[in-house]
Amino acid sequence: MANKLMPEDFLRCVSAHTQQPCELTGHIINETAITIAADDLHDIVAALMEELNLTHLSAITAQQREDHPDEIQVMYHFWQGGGYTLIVWLPAAEPVLTSLMDIIIGADFYEREVAEMYGITITNREETPPLLLPDDWDEGPPMRRKEKSV
Amino acid sequence: MKEKITIPIGPQHPLLKEPISLRIDASGEEVLGGTLRLGYVHRGIEKLAESRTYTQNIPLIERICGICSHVHTTTFCYAVEALLGIEIPPRAQYIRALLCELERIHSHLLWLGVLAKHVGLETVFMHSWHDRELVLDIMEELSGGRVSHGINQIGGVRFDVDAEHHPMMADKMQKLHERITQFMQIFEREPSIKARTHGVAPLSADLIRQYGLAGPVARASGVDVDMRRDDPLPPYDRLDISVITHPDGDAWSRTYVRIYEIYESLLLCEKILQAIPEGNISVRARRKVPAGEVVVRSEAPRGEVVYYLRSNGTEYPARLKIRTPTLPALAIMPMQLAQIHVADIPVVLAGVDLCIACADR
Amino acid sequence: MKGRTRLRQTINSIYRWAQKNSLWVIHYNSGGCNGCDIEILDLLTPRYDVERLGILAEGSPRHADVLLCTGPVTRQSKEGLLQIYSQMPSPKWVVAVGSCSITGGVFQGSPTVLGGIDKVVPVDLYVPGCATRPEAIIAAFVQLQERIAHGK
Repeated sequence: MANKLMPEDFLRCVSAHTQQPCELTGHIINETAITIAADDLHDIVAALMEELNLTHLSAITAQQREDHPDEIQVMYHFWQGGGYTLIVWLPAAEPVLTSLMDIIIGADFYEREVAEMYGITITNREETPPLLLPDDWDEGPPMRRKEKSV
Repeated sequence: MKEKITIPIGPQHPLLKEPISLRIDASGEEVLGGTLRLGYVHRGIEKLAESRTYTQNIPLIERICGICSHVHTTTFCYAVEALLGIEIPPRAQYIRALLCELERIHSHLLWLGVLAKHVGLETVFMHSWHDRELVLDIMEELSGGRVSHGINQIGGVRFDVDAEHHPMMADKMQKLHERITQFMQIFEREPSIKARTHGVAPLSADLIRQYGLAGPVARASGVDVDMRRDDPLPPYDRLDISVITHPDGDAWSRTYVRIYEIYESLLLCEKILQAIPEGNISVRARRKVPAGEVVVRSEAPRGEVVYYLRSNGTEYPARLKIRTPTLPALAIMPMQLAQIHVADIPVVLAGVDLCIACADR
Repeated sequence: MKGRTRLRQTINSIYRWAQKNSLWVIHYNSGGCNGCDIEILDLLTPRYDVERLGILAEGSPRHADVLLCTGPVTRQSKEGLLQIYSQMPSPKWVVAVGSCSITGGVFQGSPTVLGGIDKVVPVDLYVPGCATRPEAIIAAFVQLQERIAHGK
């Protein structure tokens, strides 16, 4: 059984690889979460993998919250004895994420799903083909909030 | 230089129970690799969940997959209960766990039959599915349904395990014990099974970790992770669970791990029935769930299931995200296909134990 | 003249008897949760043993008389369903198994789901249930056999 990661080590590793101030938030039950900048994502994940052996990426969740309608929140859920989440915020008008495929191959399917459901552009990978939506889908990203027409 | 051909499998194929499109590239008898196309079973469940109340969502989530229906609703109910800040009575926790283990047994017996059929042992397929009926009978006695049970509700469970159920369950579980011991002997001694599975499509522990797999496939490569022991939902934190691993990572290891897991789940069912306390089976739960976010993990028959739920103070979920274990298993499949012969394709497909309905949602 | 009509009637009834007692089935899942599909596979196993009615599960649509279809027909699987139906030789029958194959079931309202098999191919028998019990599917086959015996 892998050693359980301690929240202090998680915070220390993340803070060491970003200029932004970081703090642990417990607003997600069962998870220790830190909000980071989207540009730091790749470096932070690489550091977490190398220094703390945090390699198990469980899921990538994206959502467009009604209390933040101009942003898309993307959460990377990791696990090592307990849940650890990295949160990034992207502008809803032009959401761009850096792919983690070069360090975690398993991020492939999750990134493709998030890209097609929310219309997020993913850089640092060859192509991002749709995963689940049908071939003849032409109604735009289905999980986005529909703007109410006046 | 042999010519390269593409073998299309699916969306309808005798090998597959569910629609998925595989394009397998082969040169002669050697498989070079493959590509997948998912989405044939995509019903947009995450989107549908936002327009149904929490209680209305339980039947929807039960029908993400017919084989692992109970573990999905269990995880969802624990998520909602965490946001409500309620704890369900211990008796309800044990009943939920009992059905989770029964579901694991029936799922692995289903897999065992499918593997046997693909390896050429049609009789073992018939026998194992016949024995699976014993488990379905128990589930039907407890809940009224063979495949979808509807036993979970927010705040507990809807049906109780009465005293009159115990002798029926004990009798059927005794029969299952004997049958599974027989299957274990068949699979360990039968030379044709070993010949078809030993050394086929090995997966290293490193590769498993890179893809984020957890479940029988990971345990078959020596990765010692089981959500029932390592991130337990109640009452697994009070039960003694032995996790079965195997170091080799080939198709035989995956067979070994699943067969022994059936046996282990039977023992767990007996422990649950001995330890189940008296008491109520549910508590009242408010319809409007206070705003909050939660992540719940559980161990489905195929691996780790992760639910992220956000509520905004209304009766409707604001966001429900479901990650099922078959998704990384499908991601890793082209790696397995690149090492085998064409005749081994059924063994690899069976070893992965696909549940496309779970993956596509 | 009368003898010829009687002969034709006898041949027709023998033909229908042979047809109803040897229905070969192809099973297609058009995007369902798999619950009805495992109950359909259960029909082949010793407890329900549908082979005693002459029913055999076939892999190729060209050999099949009956298309046993489950699932609410997702947009992606519509093409496959049409292809299988068009490959089956006449006379053919379609049996829709499960609530979602009749109306879309719990998945009604989803934009990726068409909501029933009869939106794509003509259906002869509807078998409700979620998941449909194997006994119900056997009852459907018996009804289909009676229909065939009376000339559809």
